[in-house]
Amino acid sequence: MTPTVSASGLSLRFGGTQALDDVSLRLTSGVTGLLGPNGAGKTTLLRVLATAVPADRGAFTVLGYDPATAAGRQEVRRELGYLPQTPGFHPDFTAFEFVDYVAILKELTDRGARHREVRRVLDEVDLADVRGKRIKKLSGGMRQRVALAAALVGDPGFLVLDEPTVGLDPEQRMRFRELIAHAGEGRTVLLSTHQTEDVAMLCHRVLVMAGGRIRFDGTPAELTARAAGRVWSSTERDPGAKAGWRTGTGSFRNVGSPPDGAELLEPTLEDGYLLTLDDAGAEVAAA
Amino acid sequence: MGNERSVIVSGDLVSAVARTVPWRALAAGGGAGLLIVALPRLLSDGPPDGWLALTLLRTAALVFALGLTFLLDDPARHLTTPVVTRRWVRSGLRVVLVAPVAALWWTAALVLVPHGARPPVGAVTLEAGAIAALALAAAATAVRLTDEPEPGPSVAAAVLTTVTLGALLIPARWTLTAAVGDPRWGAAHDRWAVVLGVAVVAWAVCLPEPVRRRSLLFRRRSGTLSPSSV
Repeated sequence: MTPTVSASGLSLRFGGTQALDDVSLRLTSGVTGLLGPNGAGKTTLLRVLATAVPADRGAFTVLGYDPATAAGRQEVRRELGYLPQTPGFHPDFTAFEFVDYVAILKELTDRGARHREVRRVLDEVDLADVRGKRIKKLSGGMRQRVALAAALVGDPGFLVLDEPTVGLDPEQRMRFRELIAHAGEGRTVLLSTHQTEDVAMLCHRVLVMAGGRIRFDGTPAELTARAAGRVWSSTERDPGAKAGWRTGTGSFRNVGSPPDGAELLEPTLEDGYLLTLDDAGAEVAAA
Repeated sequence: MGNERSVIVSGDLVSAVARTVPWRALAAGGGAGLLIVALPRLLSDGPPDGWLALTLLRTAALVFALGLTFLLDDPARHLTTPVVTRRWVRSGLRVVLVAPVAALWWTAALVLVPHGARPPVGAVTLEAGAIAALALAAAATAVRLTDEPEPGPSVAAAVLTTVTLGALLIPARWTLTAAVGDPRWGAAHDRWAVVLGVAVVAWAVCLPEPVRRRSLLFRRRSGTLSPSSV
């Protein structure tokens, strides 16, 4: 499958922090999850791929366009929808006016077609009933959907979503997952998240970042399989475990290297993620 | 859709950008400035002397310029970073939209000063223009060098501090704030012209977004100061 996004050797340094360190990836159609702890470089990677900040080194293309030139960057932006971590709004705009404003900035110049497109994306994110309401009067979840509508306007081929479910209650998060799954049909979506459930439910592929580098690139099932044979149950917290916690049943769930004869448990995506981060930490310490 | 060289400035874009201009901050600066210039009329019957009128006009220009430091504030900055309409177009449009308002405001400020006390209009207008350009250059620099969506308050504080310290610390032979009739008046306004020119160049340099990271300045900054293309 031809990749929508192809990046090699992306590096970016802010002061003494190596935010991105030789990142290479290829993204194809569907939803790809990007997991990692705070400070892993997820947002920086998303901002570079969204052409919001240039990398120090490395190159990438989006749908064949190279943003290293002004002309290429414009073409990339025509194909891009971007939902940042803290979107920010002009609070006196209505939902319709704000998405229309973003559509104007995306150079959708035909007013009639543009208004139809704005109505379409507001319908898509289930905000048709409140499109005339001022943004400052909307709930946090509704504002997040306005931001998603702004990212979707113009039908971009590449959608970049930076922690879109943060701060949403479980019902809103579930609704947002439906929207992201729908958005991922026929386009490439890169979804940064702290929620392994988001990845398990939405993504055909997952990247794990730590210390500015990609530590894992594969399917959610492959990430889960990393923890096979490394999760076990015990009556007390196992001091040899990398992580362990008491579950609702009263027994402890441990992740790491199990002792002989341990009662092994079925691993989850989160177990695989934790062990990948632990391996990455050991690698950094060894270096 | 246009190619990369084309700049599409539609009526819709102009009206949309006009709605994002922080008019309240500008109105506050403008209103406070007019109030300052009108103080002698409000507080005494007689016209102010020339020195007082000049000082009040300079203060009013500074206060209006502090309002201008908010001009490039954009709460939706992060969301509208990677759009097709380039930053210099959006920022330039804001300045174009505000320029006639600023001209009207300055005319009103001059009219509020009685004819006999009014300083030479051209010279004092040069001073006001230079201060306004300095404020805009500072705002554009903040947008270029930081990710802050609304740097206005910090920029206003920086401009106020710079102007105050400049007035206090600049040696007398290089003064910018000569009085009317002072033999240094002409030389001071030559320097105001230089300030205006430098501010306009700095503003123009900071308007476009960088395609590549070239400046050593960026590499030496901390994580909170990153080159922005918003």
